[in-house]
Amino acid sequence: MKKRVLSYFALIAVVTGLFLTACGKTDDAAVNTDKEYTSLDELADKTIGIQTGTVFDVITAERFPNAKFKYFNSLPDLLGALETGKIDAFPADEPQIRVTMLEDPAVKMLDERLDRFDFGCIFPKTGKGEELRDRFNEFLSKVKEDGTLDEIRDIWFGADESRKVLDDYKNYPATNGTLTLATEGAYPPFNYYKDNAIIGLDVDLACRFCKEYGYGLKVKAMNMDATISSVATGKADFAASGITITPERAQSVNFSEPYFSGGTVMAVRGGSVSAGDPLTSLWESFEKTFIKEGRYRLFLRGIVVTLLITVLSVIFGTALGFVTFLWCRKGCRFANMITNFMIWLIQGMPTVVLLMILYYIVFGSSPIPGGAVSVIGFTLTFAASVFDMLRSGVDAVDRGQTEAAYALGFTDRQAFFEIVLPQAARYFMGSYRGEIVSLIKATAIVGYIAVEDLTKMGDIVRSRTYEAFFPIIAVAVCYFVMAAILTAFVGCLTQGVDPKKRRKNGFLKGVRMHD
Amino acid sequence: MIEVKNLRKEYENITPLKDVTTTIHDGDVIAIIGPSGTGKSTFLRCLNMLEQPTGGQIFINGEEITAKGCDISRIRRKMGMVFQSFNLFGHMTIIENVMYAPVKRLGMSRQEAYDKGMQLLKTVGLAQKAMNYPDELSGGQKQRVAIARALAMDPDTLLFDEPTSALDPTMVGEVQSVIRDLSKSGKTMIIVTHEMEFARQISNRVFFMDEGGIYEDGTPEEIFENPKKENTIRFIRKLKVLTLSIDDRNYDFPDANNVIENYCYKNGISKTACLRLQAVVEELCQHILMPVLEDPHILVTAEYASSTGETDVSVQYNGKPFDPAKTEDELAYSFLKANVGSLHYEETGEALNNLVKITL
Repeated sequence: MKKRVLSYFALIAVVTGLFLTACGKTDDAAVNTDKEYTSLDELADKTIGIQTGTVFDVITAERFPNAKFKYFNSLPDLLGALETGKIDAFPADEPQIRVTMLEDPAVKMLDERLDRFDFGCIFPKTGKGEELRDRFNEFLSKVKEDGTLDEIRDIWFGADESRKVLDDYKNYPATNGTLTLATEGAYPPFNYYKDNAIIGLDVDLACRFCKEYGYGLKVKAMNMDATISSVATGKADFAASGITITPERAQSVNFSEPYFSGGTVMAVRGGSVSAGDPLTSLWESFEKTFIKEGRYRLFLRGIVVTLLITVLSVIFGTALGFVTFLWCRKGCRFANMITNFMIWLIQGMPTVVLLMILYYIVFGSSPIPGGAVSVIGFTLTFAASVFDMLRSGVDAVDRGQTEAAYALGFTDRQAFFEIVLPQAARYFMGSYRGEIVSLIKATAIVGYIAVEDLTKMGDIVRSRTYEAFFPIIAVAVCYFVMAAILTAFVGCLTQGVDPKKRRKNGFLKGVRMHD
Repeated sequence: MIEVKNLRKEYENITPLKDVTTTIHDGDVIAIIGPSGTGKSTFLRCLNMLEQPTGGQIFINGEEITAKGCDISRIRRKMGMVFQSFNLFGHMTIIENVMYAPVKRLGMSRQEAYDKGMQLLKTVGLAQKAMNYPDELSGGQKQRVAIARALAMDPDTLLFDEPTSALDPTMVGEVQSVIRDLSKSGKTMIIVTHEMEFARQISNRVFFMDEGGIYEDGTPEEIFENPKKENTIRFIRKLKVLTLSIDDRNYDFPDANNVIENYCYKNGISKTACLRLQAVVEELCQHILMPVLEDPHILVTAEYASSTGETDVSVQYNGKPFDPAKTEDELAYSFLKANVGSLHYEETGEALNNLVKITL
């Protein structure tokens, strides 16, 4: 019997291996990493990487209807995919690629442009938003006339790093209120992280506007697609994030006049990079990832955010699940119907979808920050698991235990808390610990709703260093360590659950024994 | 004093208790017997409201516990219950099981509860297991702890719901002897049981339950020796007389052993006598008679006389006159002889022509 099971496993492994190899082959067939492209037309039927939330796929499809698209979340992902041959090219804004080429010699751009585009700031389609847009347009025409806009452009596209600093916008007097700016923070030179702060042309422009019109300014980083929906739902007052003006987007938000006009170019693999001494380059990568600009602080901040979301969700989720269970325990049909419906709803969809529904729809018009929404979302999912665990744990305790307690004069509540629950705990404590570990990993998706957790911070660092290895490994290690610490902590807290491990004289403390 | 008036309990598709009215006096030791499925346990569980009666009233010392708003937990503290499946609290040691409720529910000091608990454990012979957990005990030991736990609350009434049915036959005795001692303590006790000899020994009153109520109520002598009503008579007779009809070459002998064991168990027949009875059936019927009978038809009847404690067995079979002493299977015959007190063969001239009378 055992042998047969083993041979089944072996068969499955072989089939899976063959399948994966076959998949790998097709990928390889599509992309030839040795090939160096020199003209745009060579890319007509190749695999093109697209950053989600951009309109590059539309632009590219117009020119190359036969091209195959693969979608990626950020520029670092695109670069990684390009360098490892997963894609042949990706369209991007010319200024951005120029900056990238300075840092990463493995990338070059084709001179021929795919199209031209205009960047505009976006504003909510509300009365207040339109008023703000008008003011911004007024400001824009002024800076265009007096040459300030050209100066800004020179600063951010230039090579002189010392000029790339922002005004001290955090201390603006805010006489007319404070504006929240949504920006991606991963799109140099328009918006990106340096020394743990978001800078760039977009932010610079916003600063100058706020200073001129007496606003305070708060900068919020989020994914590209989140910037637009944040403005559309009024979570942010405006967004400047290298957003191309399209009629499609203009349906959900108002655009300002263009503040930058550029073109879309194709980024392809450049000449081979000379491989230096592996140890030196390893140290350089490490230095770039953690030490330069104090980037380790980004990781630390991410760890704190991730831990905070996890711990709060565990505490609130446990409490909510427990209270709900008590509410449903006696079989009240109404309570059970509502609870089952909620659990069905919460567990029926991916957590990331739940978070987005909470952030953009349920709390769409309230100023609750993404971090709090994450805690609410994960509290709900965790409460659902806690409820399920309690239900099956309590079911596993023999009905006779309750009856024996009743017969000794326990009330229903006493019987549950003193007799049933301590025994049920033995059944569900294992899965409870497991759920916590799952939760800490599941929080990696909060970047979708503009929360800068550990994973998001890893992405941000990657967007600055153009290196995948160290940030990703660092993030993985952090998750391992956090999960281990949390598990050990919960293990300590719950040690009393197993009666055999409990000190034998817990209840007999202070009792004199005769023999 | 417990007064039950027109008690009724219905489930969705069955009504085990139709109308029960009775009075239980202080100090009564009542055995509840009867065929299975006649509501014996349901009746017992209604007495402390573990089952919610559908109708009727129950009064305990004049207080109506079936009334709305009655603090049943307070009543239950004075009514111990021992379950078929022990239901010891698995997360507590034995001594904690015994002292937990007195400390928590009666507000007794831990020291006092401990001393009393140890005293009770000594009474049931388990003081040295005080620090063990229930899953380290045998079934009989668990049930004795359960009795000690019930006694720790110092109840006026003790309810036993088939206390030995879930036990290995070897462990029945230890639990029965604890209950037997208790029955002399003057506490009111109500016991649902299938062990008739045990019921007869300890009780002063027997409820025979059938047809949805207490079908016949009387002293053990009245119920076991002179039952008056039809169902009781049939039940008691079936209980005392064992008949096996063997009329197939493929007769299920292992099952017959089972039936014999069950019969002995109910009547309190000793283990030795039980083994002998099984040996008689096996040697005589299976090994000696089966090979010589062309169309076997054997009727085994055993009757236990509780007055003398003896069991008489008769084996009747068809075919030509055949004395088992003349069998060719000498080994089986010598084994048979070794297991019986006396063995006597005769021809009767009836349909089953041969008769072997045996005393064990």
